[in-house]
Amino acid sequence: MAIELEAVTKCYGRLRAVDGISLHVGCGEVFAFLGPNGAGKTTTIKMITGLLTPDAGKITVCGHPMATEAQQAKSHLAYVPDQPFLYGKLTAREFMVFVGQMYSLGGRTLEARVNEYMERLSIKSFADQLAESFSHGMKQRVVLAAALLHEPEVLVVDEPMVGLDPRTARSVKDLFRAWADAGRTVFMSTHTLDVAEAIADRIGIINHGRIVACGTLGELKAKARQEHRLEDIFLDLTNPQEPPERHEAAVV
Amino acid sequence: MRPRLSDMSVDTTKSAAVPSVGLLLRLKLRLLRNRLRQLVDQSPLQLLLIIVFVATIWGGLYFIFDHLLVYIRRFEEEAIIALPLIFHLFFFSMTILLAFSTAILIYGALFGRDEPGFLLTTPNPPRNVVAVLFLESLFFSSWSLVLLGLPLMAAIGQVQGLPWHFYVVFLVAFLGFVPIPGAIGLLTALAVALFLPRIAKRAAMYALLVVILGVIIWWGRLWNLFSESVSKQLVDNLLSELSYLKAALLPSSWVARAIELSIADRPMDAAFYLFVTVATAAFLSWWGHIIVAAKLLPAFARAQSAPHRPRRHTSGATSLVTRIAFFYLPRRMRFLILKDVRNFLRDPMQWSQLVILFGLLSMYLVYLPRSRTEGFPTEWQALICFLNFGAITLILSTFTSRFVFPMMSLEGQQIWLVALWPLGRSSVMWAKFCFAMTVTAGTALPVTWLSIRAVELPAGLATLQIICTLAACAGLCALAVGFGAVLPNYAEQSAGRISSGLGGTVNLIASVGLVAVSVALFGWVCWEMAQAGRLTLTSVNSKWALVALMALNLGSFAASMWIGVRKFQRQEF
Repeated sequence: MAIELEAVTKCYGRLRAVDGISLHVGCGEVFAFLGPNGAGKTTTIKMITGLLTPDAGKITVCGHPMATEAQQAKSHLAYVPDQPFLYGKLTAREFMVFVGQMYSLGGRTLEARVNEYMERLSIKSFADQLAESFSHGMKQRVVLAAALLHEPEVLVVDEPMVGLDPRTARSVKDLFRAWADAGRTVFMSTHTLDVAEAIADRIGIINHGRIVACGTLGELKAKARQEHRLEDIFLDLTNPQEPPERHEAAVV
Repeated sequence: MRPRLSDMSVDTTKSAAVPSVGLLLRLKLRLLRNRLRQLVDQSPLQLLLIIVFVATIWGGLYFIFDHLLVYIRRFEEEAIIALPLIFHLFFFSMTILLAFSTAILIYGALFGRDEPGFLLTTPNPPRNVVAVLFLESLFFSSWSLVLLGLPLMAAIGQVQGLPWHFYVVFLVAFLGFVPIPGAIGLLTALAVALFLPRIAKRAAMYALLVVILGVIIWWGRLWNLFSESVSKQLVDNLLSELSYLKAALLPSSWVARAIELSIADRPMDAAFYLFVTVATAAFLSWWGHIIVAAKLLPAFARAQSAPHRPRRHTSGATSLVTRIAFFYLPRRMRFLILKDVRNFLRDPMQWSQLVILFGLLSMYLVYLPRSRTEGFPTEWQALICFLNFGAITLILSTFTSRFVFPMMSLEGQQIWLVALWPLGRSSVMWAKFCFAMTVTAGTALPVTWLSIRAVELPAGLATLQIICTLAACAGLCALAVGFGAVLPNYAEQSAGRISSGLGGTVNLIASVGLVAVSVALFGWVCWEMAQAGRLTLTSVNSKWALVALMALNLGSFAASMWIGVRKFQRQEF
């Protein structure tokens, strides 16, 4: 398994942001993590990446428990946050080289990969400009390219499509699919349901800190007993009028 | 384009490569290099102006220190006591200031969202992250003090005619000493992240409690000291009261001792104290960064997990207070100020520092009534009047540099919002100035009034002191707002880091320079009165000194606002 969450809970004061969720994501999967605002998506992602410590439960990445073998777990992982971070006084190329060096890449391998991902995500035209002048979409592309440099087994992305132009968004979707086809894992949180529908192998829906549904698109449709689009299923399962009900997640 | 990835094999057993600390250090150096290169390429004139300005201020400070030391040397006995005391007091104050400023900076650097959030998701061991961010925070918190210390060193060396090893000892002592308060600040930041209650109101109560406790302790000590009559006994008591500064276990006294011994031409003895200082600094820094690294992840997680509690509706009270305090401003400018007040009150990192500054002023208020004695001699009235003006304006310069200067940078980050309002950019700047002026004058004038009552100044001189204090408030606030617009930092979201950056340091030096000259001019007036034995403006010189003081501060106000408004209006975002 690439990512395993066992009864993970995280509380902020009295609020249970994540309430005992269990989730297994295998190698070669694109997993889309959906949920309304404040449902617990980003908290879950931050726990998977080791930025937050769960109050209860266990998280494992590529067989390494995050609590005890954080460094090994992180070496298999790359994270692209919803608000991309770049050093304003570094150029895109300098930032990518720095990230590559952190993962012990160097020499021609690093240079080749930097060029390859710059090409793939259309970064070359602004590669040598300082990041402080970049738009959100440009930053998103650079951060994504830097995250892919060391070819991590698990790629965790929070809202990857925000700010991307249609051509780059298409490239990113293709890239994620190819990443999973190569036996790697993409764990993606998104509000863009079309993207989830198009490329995700499985979809998990979180609401009020609990997984209310998890499975392939077909399984979710069967669960919701309707042959509608993912949008309808999502709206049905996360209806704020109804009290949160714990669904048994269809963990594959 | 379909990426070619399917030929890549996945190995989840590969060992984790640990990046070296050198990589992060090189990153920081590259950031500095790029910043300087950008400044040279895009704003060479601005760089030149900064260099000329800093050089002028250095020259001014050197001039003041030089003349002060020459003056002290006239009184041989006092000089023997005063000079070492200056070093002890200087380094003791530095311990507190540096520990405090490093704690603030390292807290933002380690427990903020962006950079640590990025670095901690990489295989970088927490030790590397802590070590580099600690060094960076140490640099930011100490460089302005280092720059202020250099004219002091040069003046002492020149006045005393000291050999070359004095300069070496001074520099090594200074640089070797800085990590000691830095490590204290590092551990304090960790304690805050791990243990400080996350509910702002409770944290505020604890902070106030600490300040009040400090005031009570000091009040008790000063009560005993100043209840004595004004005599040689007071000086003796004062020296005995400050004797704890020379305690053998205080790192500040090792550094001061090393410099004293170097002045006494005993370099080998000085080297011993230097060694003790540097060894302690290395020990504390090493263990400090190891302890913080061990607790970094839980502390970061706690700092990021603020409890989600619905905020009670308190905006009515804040709005009412703002409406009353800024009644003289148009409604839209009041709304802008109300936004700043709310942001400020909801950021514990900001208001806790203000609480400490107010704590200092409170200490001052507590001691003032005790200094009143029957039949106060005229010379002492003039001297205390001068000291009061100096203390109040110095605290104000710290306040404006720390709190007022970053306001323009923080506003500039939201200019997309502010610029769309039917409110000109110049109004934004004037709103900042009025906000700062109201707060500083509202704090400084009651303190000035109490000090006037304490030394029983005649009405004429009291009015004059109030006018001078108001002029200093206007000069300092305008300087901070103006520099905030001319040397902004729109990339930084932490007010502490903005004020400790290049622009903030230039503003601090300029503010201290303005205060130094104002206090010197005010001191001249007081000196003339003390010499004449009457608290009235009789000499032409003192009248000219007052005119110069007013012209300087009002000139600073006019020039700063004019230049700042022009710059802000032309600024492209």
